[in-house]
Amino acid sequence: MSVVNDTQAAASTGTETFEPKILAFACHWCTYSGADLAGLNRMSYPANVRVLRVPCSGRVNPQYILTALNKGVDGVLVCGCHPGDCHYVSGNYYAKRRLMAFRRMLQYTGLEPERFQVRWISGSEAGKFRDTVTSVVEQVRELGPYKPDPALAALIDSSVDASNPVLPEGGEA
Amino acid sequence: MTAIQESIQKRAAELLESGEVTQVIAWTNGRFTNQTSPLFIQNAADAGKIVFNEYCVNTLAKYVLNEKIAGKVGVCVRGCEARGINRMIADNQLKREEVYLLGIPCEGMKDRETGEALDKCLTCTHKNPVVYDELLGAEVTDTVSEEIDKVRFAQIEAIEGMSREERLEYFNNVFNSCIRCYACREVCPVCTCRECFVDQLRAGWQGKQNNLNENRFYNLIRVFHIGDRCVECGECARACPMGLPLMELNRKWIRDLDELFAAGEEGLSDELDNTLGRYKTDDIEEFM
Repeated sequence: MSVVNDTQAAASTGTETFEPKILAFACHWCTYSGADLAGLNRMSYPANVRVLRVPCSGRVNPQYILTALNKGVDGVLVCGCHPGDCHYVSGNYYAKRRLMAFRRMLQYTGLEPERFQVRWISGSEAGKFRDTVTSVVEQVRELGPYKPDPALAALIDSSVDASNPVLPEGGEA
Repeated sequence: MTAIQESIQKRAAELLESGEVTQVIAWTNGRFTNQTSPLFIQNAADAGKIVFNEYCVNTLAKYVLNEKIAGKVGVCVRGCEARGINRMIADNQLKREEVYLLGIPCEGMKDRETGEALDKCLTCTHKNPVVYDELLGAEVTDTVSEEIDKVRFAQIEAIEGMSREERLEYFNNVFNSCIRCYACREVCPVCTCRECFVDQLRAGWQGKQNNLNENRFYNLIRVFHIGDRCVECGECARACPMGLPLMELNRKWIRDLDELFAAGEEGLSDELDNTLGRYKTDDIEEFM
């Protein structure tokens, strides 16, 4: 909790070091349990990471990754079971092919490779979860904030999400 | 060319006359010199309007989807159209018996304004249709695959050779120029979703604004959706009113998938075998 407060305080004064926001997609059956185990073992890792539980790494649509980056996340980490251990038998094999190619595409169009990473972390690998998260946060902190659209960022306050307004339920906007 | 044009006219008239097809899709003269546009005829009497010359730039494959409702469609297929038809059959958009394919060997088409060979034809790997019911004209020889691969991937390699900042700037310029008219989606024989992700307003994947963020999102997701199925007809880049090099995105996927998973070329058969829709347990590993 104190880390969050420190981050907010730093942001308001604008004098402290940059704290990246990392979104981690964690598969329910392996990585999420691994993260849980890290907590049970009282391991400490940077509070910059937001863990989002998904049923399977195969559930992670590349649209999620781009949307996250567009909406102000500085780096994305996708974690799943080791190949062969998928609860749904084959989800992570599909994810592997898809994300390998998508990662190359993002780098081809100019994204730093550190901003989008994929790791297989099993339910018992609490230490690997901690190490991975720590290294991703450190790498992205080095890179600085992600600015997907320099012109747009200057135009509007970055805290306002004007790029994608949410439609009200029950009617067209 | 003239001989082929005459045989298309003759066969189109015969097919319509006999009732074997209800409609024939071909090309006709456009409003300007050296311009052609797609032609849809229902009567044998109209067969004389059919034109085939070196300016038939439109790939006709996608039109079949809208036209097949009325009955069996006769359609002229060159290499690019034939692969598109195969792809649509594999994607369950079309049945083989719903089309009658008039195969045409093609030496490549020319740009109306410059008179030079079209970009998409310079990188063509299959000049003869890979599937047809009858072939009108003698088969032409394809360029040797090693030679054509050099041309196909020359631009990709040039971009990969740039630094990250240069690539970012290059593609930011491309995406900034995009007006998101979705012409690339409309002409693509692979983009056959009834409801495209950009039209799902409630889900809100694609914002309506035209800015770099949204344009990048659209272009990268478009190419993700079609990357493992692209038949390289090059229609997206040809149809783009802003002249964006969209095939540079498609070919990046094609080459990566080929290098990583030995994907090979798409559209050569009508079997469903998407590279991203299957897997091997011994796939290359880089996420450990």
